Amino acid sequence: MSTIELRQVEKKFGDLHAVKPLDLTIQDGEFIVLLGPSGCGKTTTLRMISGLETVSGGTIWLNGRNVTWLHPSERDIAFVFQFYALYPHLTAWRNIAFPLQAQGESRETVEKRVDEVVKLLQIEHVLKAHPGQLSGGDQQRVALARALVRRPAAFLMDEPLGALDADFRESMRSEIKRLHVLQHATTVYVTHDQIEAMAMGDRIVVMSEAAIQQIGTPAEVYNNPTNLFVARFIGSPGMNLITGRYADGIVQMAGLDNRYAVPQVWQSALRKSMNDGSEIVVGFRPEAAQINDGGKLAGKVYASEMQGSSAVLHLTINENEIIHIRTDRLIPYPIDTLVHFDINPQMVRFFNLKTEAAIKPEVTQ
Amino acid sequence: MTASETQLRGPNTKIRQRHLSNRAIVNLFIWPTLLLLIAMNVFPLFYSLYLGFTNYSAIAQKAPVWVAFQNFSKILNDKNLWQYFATTGRYALMSVSLQVLVGFSLAMLVREKFKGGGILTTLILIPMMISPVVVGLFWKLMYNPTFGFFNFLLGLSDPSKSPDWLASRIGGHPVPGLALIAVVIVDVWMWAPFVMLLVLSGLKAIPDYLYEAAAVDRASSWFQFWRITLPQVAPLLLIAILFRTIEAFKSFDLVMGMTGGGPGVQTELISVDLYRIAFLGQFRTGMGSALAYIILIIIIAISNLYIKYLNQSKGEG
Amino acid sequence: MATFEEIGPRIPVVEPIRVDKVHPRAKLGRSIRVIVTVIVTFIMIIPVLVMIMTAFKSRANIVTPPPKVFFKPTLEGFLYLFTDRSLFSPSNLEAARANPGDLNYWQKLALSVGQKINGPSDYVGRLKNSVIIAGTSTLLSVILGLFAAYAFSRFKVAGKDDLLFFILSTRMLPGVVVTIPLFLLYKQLGWNDTHIGMIILYTVFNLSFSVWLLKGFIDEIPVEYEEAALVDGYSRLQAFFKIVLPQAVNGIAATTVFCLIFAWNEYAFALMLTSEKARTAPPSIATMLGSGGLEWSAIAAGSLGFLIPVAIVTFALRDYLLRGVTFGAVRK
Repeated sequence: MSTIELRQVEKKFGDLHAVKPLDLTIQDGEFIVLLGPSGCGKTTTLRMISGLETVSGGTIWLNGRNVTWLHPSERDIAFVFQFYALYPHLTAWRNIAFPLQAQGESRETVEKRVDEVVKLLQIEHVLKAHPGQLSGGDQQRVALARALVRRPAAFLMDEPLGALDADFRESMRSEIKRLHVLQHATTVYVTHDQIEAMAMGDRIVVMSEAAIQQIGTPAEVYNNPTNLFVARFIGSPGMNLITGRYADGIVQMAGLDNRYAVPQVWQSALRKSMNDGSEIVVGFRPEAAQINDGGKLAGKVYASEMQGSSAVLHLTINENEIIHIRTDRLIPYPIDTLVHFDINPQMVRFFNLKTEAAIKPEVTQ
Repeated sequence: MTASETQLRGPNTKIRQRHLSNRAIVNLFIWPTLLLLIAMNVFPLFYSLYLGFTNYSAIAQKAPVWVAFQNFSKILNDKNLWQYFATTGRYALMSVSLQVLVGFSLAMLVREKFKGGGILTTLILIPMMISPVVVGLFWKLMYNPTFGFFNFLLGLSDPSKSPDWLASRIGGHPVPGLALIAVVIVDVWMWAPFVMLLVLSGLKAIPDYLYEAAAVDRASSWFQFWRITLPQVAPLLLIAILFRTIEAFKSFDLVMGMTGGGPGVQTELISVDLYRIAFLGQFRTGMGSALAYIILIIIIAISNLYIKYLNQSKGEG
Repeated sequence: MATFEEIGPRIPVVEPIRVDKVHPRAKLGRSIRVIVTVIVTFIMIIPVLVMIMTAFKSRANIVTPPPKVFFKPTLEGFLYLFTDRSLFSPSNLEAARANPGDLNYWQKLALSVGQKINGPSDYVGRLKNSVIIAGTSTLLSVILGLFAAYAFSRFKVAGKDDLLFFILSTRMLPGVVVTIPLFLLYKQLGWNDTHIGMIILYTVFNLSFSVWLLKGFIDEIPVEYEEAALVDGYSRLQAFFKIVLPQAVNGIAATTVFCLIFAWNEYAFALMLTSEKARTAPPSIATMLGSGGLEWSAIAAGSLGFLIPVAIVTFALRDYLLRGVTFGAVRK
């Protein structure tokens, strides 16, 4: 069992909150991703779990043990750094063997375990080289091997793919996920790349401005973002968000006289939480809208993006907002054409502009 | 990295630019420097070589007379001169190793930031900034057995028993080599800060995450020093050693200020002897030139050895 | 598509603290380290303190054992340094002592050691020489070095690497090898014991260092700035002055400090190539003779005074020094 629990863990530098008090429980064997833009506190949180950073408040529990003030090497964790952090003056083999040797394992154990891990990562051919002589991808594999060889209770990874070429990143992504499945190990993975997070995570912790914005499975954060930040951050492109004024079941959007009729299922929820005349944000994903000539909403073509088998159409709704709609039509629209579309009522979402929070639908019986 | 060599047209410029061409600029910028260096270095170098084959004396009114290898053979057969070379070698070895030891330790002490660290580091640099001859003179005062501070601060105040450093005597008995040690101490005092400076910059360049990985792996401090710290600092350290060794062989100012070569010839470094031959007494310019050339060849040989070693260490990492 | 890298509070770069570093044992280790450093620093500057003290001691205090840490300070040393004096004959001494009259402070001081002031000593002249020679040669070596460094950095030059190595190697030459022929050369040119001779010499000596150091700094300045200027219609020369120069100020400062320190403190060449007119301070400080041997307080006073300008300049530019020293070594 290797659950990780963070209870009210926070980090301050002077008066500045790098991480506001947060609670998080990571289940045994889970691959959880800390996702967010630079400076949101995800790396600091990871480092606090590892012991490379002291906590300013709160406690950290590993398998029911309070590890808040334990030396990093006593927490039974392995850390994979963004820049590999391989000892430059040891060969790859000795780099991988090192953690076991440092713990005083016997020679046979060391050789056996290194062998296992090397086979798993397919790096037999680089064992005699020094890190400086290896490619980025090989270095990262050696770093992973060094982490794996100890069979720790948890793996902590700090943007391990950040220093790799784009094409390589994808293949390494699946390799890491495969390793995770084979090892049944709890993994905490930090990244700013939401595509990576969506592809790899069992659950995603979306962070921004030192606080957790939402915790959920990829599907949850994609389909039901709890606030505007998550809606914008997840998905590429992010969710379309149009501001308008709500009154009596209709949202009046600025410009082009778009009047959006709120779908039936949402009407009572909106009536309960929104006053007439208050500002509301209508959200929908690019694939949640349909271009058709009889559509109730309209926008002017700003640009078309051909993406092979489909296209993304960029429309201006008013001076400030551009939305993106996915379409099958492969012939580009001329710029400034007026185009009509409808929003799929199952996939629309609403947000309170002032609080930025999502408005929850009412649960039907 | 070279910029394009075409003349580009801007929107408002005439088509025919009346500016200096790139060729002209290169010439204008480089040639004065090159000419000066050649005139003041290359020419004297060759002239010096020529003089080495003559018995020229700068004060005699005669023109140089060719004596072929006479000077060189006299030098190479002179036992005394070999002794001076040995003295210089011993001096260089002792001084440079101590400089490295002290300098490195100083760097390890001040590497982490703490209040006032910057000021302390700057203070440590002061010895480096004083004119070496002045340093020599001052330490001469300090080493004086009767009224100097050196013995006093070490608690060796009794003149009959305490060391007279620059005279190589302790309590009246001659202790050969003491004076050389005294000079080495001063040289280390002056230049350990230089080594510290170089090593410090190397230490600062080591990325933190290497040490963090070591923390997670529970690596011993010894391991961290040998496998992380030392290899990263090694290139800079070698450069420091190279420079200081060359300087030790050329060392003149310090010794002249402190001992003038004495007592006897215990601190007669090779450059001091050169000065004596060429600028004192008979002004044996020809002989001096020959000696200078021999010194030059030795320095080049040592430098090449070091550079080879330096390249080797870089290739490994 | 907006990137969201820019969203998020800017957390200022603060030193991370590992869990094991807040342990009391680690904190103790740090305190010990600080204490040891203070002690070591103190030990290192004791000789400098001795020098400062000696400058203010009377002759008697200096040469009588045991060495004194507490003493009555006097400006005798500076008197010996800056003035030329002669001894009073015993009878004149009596007369002068009886009639202090309107002697100024210095004359009184001289009187107290039985001497009278004849006029300023050579030292003032030597100091002036030092300022002229060191200052001018530093200026020249930095300027020439700057131009050459720029050309080497930005243009393809035939045999560039060889030329650069040649320039570096001139620094490696022991001075002894070139002293003798230079002495003779100067004799021919009539440059012995002249300012111009020494200025050219120091310039050349510093030039190799200055070219390498400045090239290192200029290499760091992106070429794109100048290329943009060229597109805008500037000539190369204008780009050099308007764009490269301002950005190279750090490097120029570091180079200036190093060249100045070298030229200011140089002794050997000054000793061998000058005698009266162009002699700089270092050789003269070394030979200050008093009536009974070396005049220690004068030497101390001279050394102190000589050290202060260098100390001030070095202290002011210490950060540049650190960067300068490691250039070319760290980058590869």
